[in-house]
Amino acid sequence: MTAPILSALPISADDVWSVTQVTSAVKRLIERDLGAVWVRGEILQCKAWSSGHWYFTLRDARSQMRCCMWRAQAQKAGRPPVDGTEVYVLGTPGMWEEKGEFRLTVSLIIPTAAVGAQQQELERVKSVLQRDGLFDPTRKRPLPTHARCIAVVTSPDGAALRDIVIVVRRRWPCARIVVVGARVQGDGAEAELVRALGIVNRVDGVEVCIMGRGGGAREDLHAFNSEAVCRALAAVRVPTISAVGHETDVSLTDFVADVRAATPSAAAEAAVPDQRDVRRRVADLAARLANGLAQRTALAGERLERTGDRLTAAVTQKAERRRHRIDRLAAQLDALSPLRVLARGFAVPVAPDGRVLKRRADFAEGDGFTLRVADGSVPARVQEDA
Amino acid sequence: MTPRARARDEGSLADELEQLEQIVRRLEADDTDLDAGLALFEEGVRRLRAARERLSQAELKVQTVLDSAGDELGLGDLDV
Repeated sequence: MTAPILSALPISADDVWSVTQVTSAVKRLIERDLGAVWVRGEILQCKAWSSGHWYFTLRDARSQMRCCMWRAQAQKAGRPPVDGTEVYVLGTPGMWEEKGEFRLTVSLIIPTAAVGAQQQELERVKSVLQRDGLFDPTRKRPLPTHARCIAVVTSPDGAALRDIVIVVRRRWPCARIVVVGARVQGDGAEAELVRALGIVNRVDGVEVCIMGRGGGAREDLHAFNSEAVCRALAAVRVPTISAVGHETDVSLTDFVADVRAATPSAAAEAAVPDQRDVRRRVADLAARLANGLAQRTALAGERLERTGDRLTAAVTQKAERRRHRIDRLAAQLDALSPLRVLARGFAVPVAPDGRVLKRRADFAEGDGFTLRVADGSVPARVQEDA
Repeated sequence: MTPRARARDEGSLADELEQLEQIVRRLEADDTDLDAGLALFEEGVRRLRAARERLSQAELKVQTVLDSAGDELGLGDLDV
């Protein structure tokens, strides 16, 4: 060693890093700042070890990097890709400290050719469905407002079904859900979905159909881009809702369905009303019905009064019969009627002209009025002041 | 609308509420006489009762298709 180099050494030994310190620092830098990334490249020398892990190099025209794929993911990926295969990989850049090597830990490999073919197929299906008018906004049907029976086409043990049931149970428990189970991904999913949609048409009383699944990788949603599934969905005889994946996922069934929902829960919200709103409406109609009758009888009473002198006994009798009928009907009204208040012992003083007497000033000495009680009326008169 | 669709719609809650709405509106209008009013009221009460009956089912029913081979679908309860 020569003197100038020696003089370049730091003064304190504390300023000298160990190899491990450097590799750890680099590892921290890389792993903190970079998450999972999609990388496009060419596979080189993919070696599958007996442990099940794969090691390979990914390269492009200028650079290359070492990659590993752990057993669990490698098993799902099938066979190791041959040299020269163009791929997309999903991986997390990291540092292999023992070897001082930078590497990418890969979780997914997709050959670019497969993506290309899939994309082409998607475009083809899209264009034929478009040509046949399946995306036409004018064929969209409105959803029922108070569905009694909802068909759900999905995996019977998936999260999507659970979410739908939870929402319908909360909002609209007076309904019935008929689950038509189908695999939603993997081999046979397409055929099972087509079959399930056919069965929906045979469910008695069905009023709306939800087809969907929870979120997943893009290729897991594949079946929902299939031409056969889209056509089967269009052939469902009741309005349909497509709810595939998360908010950001879009599939062709979303365009074919009458309504697209961002999630299965949102589909359920669209399919049924909130029982609280409906109950409010029923209560409102009940009150208006009772009121309407009260107005009508008051009007009839006035007319009777006006022609009072000329009334024959028969007419009086008829009026009496009507009154009985009203009383009988009023009793039926039960909860919705103000008469219920009377049943608790309250009475309503009513002037001969039908006005309800509410204040002290409404009563003049000697005035006649009617006291309306629960089971009829009692004639009354204001007595001399005490 | 096909006859089948109409048959299905008949007696639905939506239909029931719509009819009820019309009854109430007619009852509220000034030009009904007492007899007509009473008839409307009676029908209204009947429909109200039907609507309440519909809403009274407190527990959601979840079924699944067990058998689709025959003419009629075989349904069974599903625990979700």
